[in-house]
Amino acid sequence: MLTKKRWWVPWAFLALPLIMYIIWVLVPIGRTFIYSFSSWDGLSKNIDFIGLDNFRMLFGDRIFITALMNNIKWFILFIIIPVPVGLGFAMLLDMKLPGSKLFKTLVYLPMTLSFVVIGTMWSWIYEPQYGALNSFLDAIGLDFLITPWLSDPQVVTFSLIFAAIWRQIPYVMVLFLAGLKNVSKDQVEAAYVDGANAWQRFWNIILPALRPSMIVAVTVSIIDSLRAFDIVFVMTKGGPFHSSTVLANFMYIEAFNNYRMGYGSAIAVIQFAITFGFIILYLLNVMKNEE
Amino acid sequence: MKNRKLSIRMMFYILSLLIVIVWLIPFFITTFTSLKSMDEIMASTSWWKPPQQLVWENFANSWEQGNMKTYFRNTFIITVPSVIGTLFVSSLGAFSLSFYKFKMSKIVLIIFVAGMLIPFQMLLIPVYKFSQQTGLYDTFQGVILFHVAFQLGFCTFFLRNFMIGIPKSIFESAKMDGANDFTLYRKIALPLSLPAMAALGILEFTWIWNDYLWALILLQSDSLKPVTLGLVNLQGQWVTSWNIISAASLIAAIVPLVVFLLFQRYFIDGLTVGAVKG
Amino acid sequence: MKKLTLTLTILTLVLFVFSARTLVINSYMSDPAPKEVFSKLVADFEEMYPEIDVTVNTFAHEDFKTLLRTWLGSNNAPDVVTWFAGERMRYFAEKGFLEPLDDIFPNGFEEEFPEAFRTASAYQDNIYFIPQSWYWWGVYYNKAVFKDLGLEIPKTWNEFMAVNETLKENGKIPMAIGTKFLWTAGGWFDYLNMRINGIEFHTEFTAGKVPFTDPRVKKVFEYWKEMVDKGYFINNHSAYSWQEAANRLFTGEAGMYLMGQFIKDVAPENVKDDIDFFRFPIIDSNVGVYEDTPIDGFMVPKNAKNIEDAKLFMKYIAGKESQQYFADELGRLAANKKVTPPDAHAQAGMDMILESDGVMQFFDRDMDPEMANNAMNGFVEFMMFPNRIDAILENLENIRQRIYN
Repeated sequence: MLTKKRWWVPWAFLALPLIMYIIWVLVPIGRTFIYSFSSWDGLSKNIDFIGLDNFRMLFGDRIFITALMNNIKWFILFIIIPVPVGLGFAMLLDMKLPGSKLFKTLVYLPMTLSFVVIGTMWSWIYEPQYGALNSFLDAIGLDFLITPWLSDPQVVTFSLIFAAIWRQIPYVMVLFLAGLKNVSKDQVEAAYVDGANAWQRFWNIILPALRPSMIVAVTVSIIDSLRAFDIVFVMTKGGPFHSSTVLANFMYIEAFNNYRMGYGSAIAVIQFAITFGFIILYLLNVMKNEE
Repeated sequence: MKNRKLSIRMMFYILSLLIVIVWLIPFFITTFTSLKSMDEIMASTSWWKPPQQLVWENFANSWEQGNMKTYFRNTFIITVPSVIGTLFVSSLGAFSLSFYKFKMSKIVLIIFVAGMLIPFQMLLIPVYKFSQQTGLYDTFQGVILFHVAFQLGFCTFFLRNFMIGIPKSIFESAKMDGANDFTLYRKIALPLSLPAMAALGILEFTWIWNDYLWALILLQSDSLKPVTLGLVNLQGQWVTSWNIISAASLIAAIVPLVVFLLFQRYFIDGLTVGAVKG
Repeated sequence: MKKLTLTLTILTLVLFVFSARTLVINSYMSDPAPKEVFSKLVADFEEMYPEIDVTVNTFAHEDFKTLLRTWLGSNNAPDVVTWFAGERMRYFAEKGFLEPLDDIFPNGFEEEFPEAFRTASAYQDNIYFIPQSWYWWGVYYNKAVFKDLGLEIPKTWNEFMAVNETLKENGKIPMAIGTKFLWTAGGWFDYLNMRINGIEFHTEFTAGKVPFTDPRVKKVFEYWKEMVDKGYFINNHSAYSWQEAANRLFTGEAGMYLMGQFIKDVAPENVKDDIDFFRFPIIDSNVGVYEDTPIDGFMVPKNAKNIEDAKLFMKYIAGKESQQYFADELGRLAANKKVTPPDAHAQAGMDMILESDGVMQFFDRDMDPEMANNAMNGFVEFMMFPNRIDAILENLENIRQRIYN
């Protein structure tokens, strides 16, 4: 389709998007990389370059290690929980029961609320003395499970992840609802007629047909877990004393509250590197399917 | 047999109902809070319980006090052009990457995808400085242009995947009828991508509507701020009026919800097709 | 060509004539009451100077702190900004981002403001900050609870401990505190340090000149530990914002709360009169009596576009009339010394301060922001795990070395 004469055609179409992208995204990324090698405070006119010192400091910074560990927790839990639960919700709500449209809308609601509100409401659920969760546990006799959900350093990250998952599940559910539309009803019917039970139908027909949606769901969950910021920032700001901090939160506080722009940029660079690692993995997967 | 089927259905029905109710608890709490007076909140111990007295004025107050009218208007001014802009610009890129075979196309695609996954806080200071230098700071255009550019990664990738699925035969016959490249784009690729565009439109609308950080960094004047910033302004230096904030955010949540309801059909169908090609 | 030049000249003249002088003010007064009062003050200023067109942009408090540094560093800074006195202001003055304001006062700063406020408003010899209002900190207590248990206001540390013990014995939370956002713990450090070691030491400490491992610093934590060990603080305080913890004081479940005067802003109507304060108890009678009095006010960025009019505004906001109005409407204390306190509660606070030997701004306003953040995190960790104090202090000392190297 492309002759030698017309090699410029695809680039003509790409011109506008690429230029905008370079200006607003790629150049700023480059700038951040440059800042990460400096001790800039984000304010002064002059920038001192200090080579790899920021990165050296980072690896000895126990807050950085905590953030990294926490992101790993986010990462694991974000894959294990939203994906199956979202799938379960999708299958449950896909049954043509009366009111399923209403249900889908209701489950989508968390995505429409602002993070400030989500954070505050969950803080009240988690409140140690009178909060909804502990009151409920007390009421049903499980009072040995009562914990200060947001002030116990061992537990706090999990409390935050759970609130974030509450918001993540609708997103994943919608992805799967879409995917389920693609499952061939005829195939399922045929399998039923052939005597396959519910589990076999699910495993052998539905699940493979859902593979594309699964890839998107897992990828999105990976990215969101490594980028987690809003919930942490609103609910605990990384506290108590850094025990719930994640990379994005740590980066923000260092760069903007502690006036350490250079250091914060270094954190961002590392966060980018980790996420980028997963991009490559994802892309290899996706490109493979296309050939 | 029929009875068994019926009771299974009932079970699933009740199960769904229960799940959704538990699911919505934080949402109920938000609603309760929005209907309480601050005095009631500060004087009681359980902040999550239903209100003793319904204070409907909170909603009116949040509209007034929160200057919601202006902020809503601003959010529309920012969101609608951003969504249209990013859909249009990314469709150009998507067409190029899907229709033409050229050496750099894989690399360009990777560039767009990579940008999709950037932790955006990283861009705060450079983008701020850039908008200052170009005079785009504190303008609607500045925020809109940024959103259009920033969303290009995801949108280009998504649309490109969708467009790959359009049968080449349609293009072939159009070419034989004498269509040039731009016509192919405008009259064939675009119309056939409408479901995907609608799906993207909803997602982009929700994300940009709820954007907080970029509006914060790129806008200064009160008169330009969107709802997300307006909401946070209801948090005082020491004192937070939780009831007003809850009321205001419920109002703010209505718009993305309505958009979801209106475009639900396309949304679900569209996402399918993109996902399958992925 | 001639026509073009003519048109352009006319256009320029027209624009020149119709361009009002604009003044941009960025403020963090996002609470509804102060916001309204401030907009009235701005309206009055506009009446005095009709050629000036004032725009006020309001921001949430946390966001303002983040954005201020970006504004100050840009070429497009706003003309006036709200801010805090003390180190927080000096941080920017030192880097040359603020405009000196001495020429606003023909007869000097002390004509309008108490001499005690000079250090908080100046850097080296110049004034960079115009104070508007200030408030005090004290131990707020629930009068009804005290009355029920027959408690008297404690004046010394021992009396204070006894009050705590009585409260605890009767099933009350002796001391409420919400440490989720850290600064409440800073308040505790301030008071213990000022009572034990005095104000010169505290000033040196917040200037980063004292090692965290100094024995005088450790002494502060010994007293603090006494309260922690005896369980006088509310449980799980790191789960609460200050406001959420205040709720316990209002319901009567807690007896006391070391807090700033703004706690009254949030007290429900039926409880407001039950909440009063007393001075933080004396630990060492040989040490002077010092208090925290955070001062809020305004500054002018060096890169502001309209410095002239900014100074006009600052002169206005420093004056008695505007300060009296602000104080009266909001029940605050005005910085201007000619202004009378608006109500009995404010008068009581004012009296307490007048009887004191000196004042500081507040922990996170007196200390370098990064050091303060780390220190407060350390304080909260100490309050939850008091036995870790040595490790915490060592860690903070390392950070101090790095920051103040």
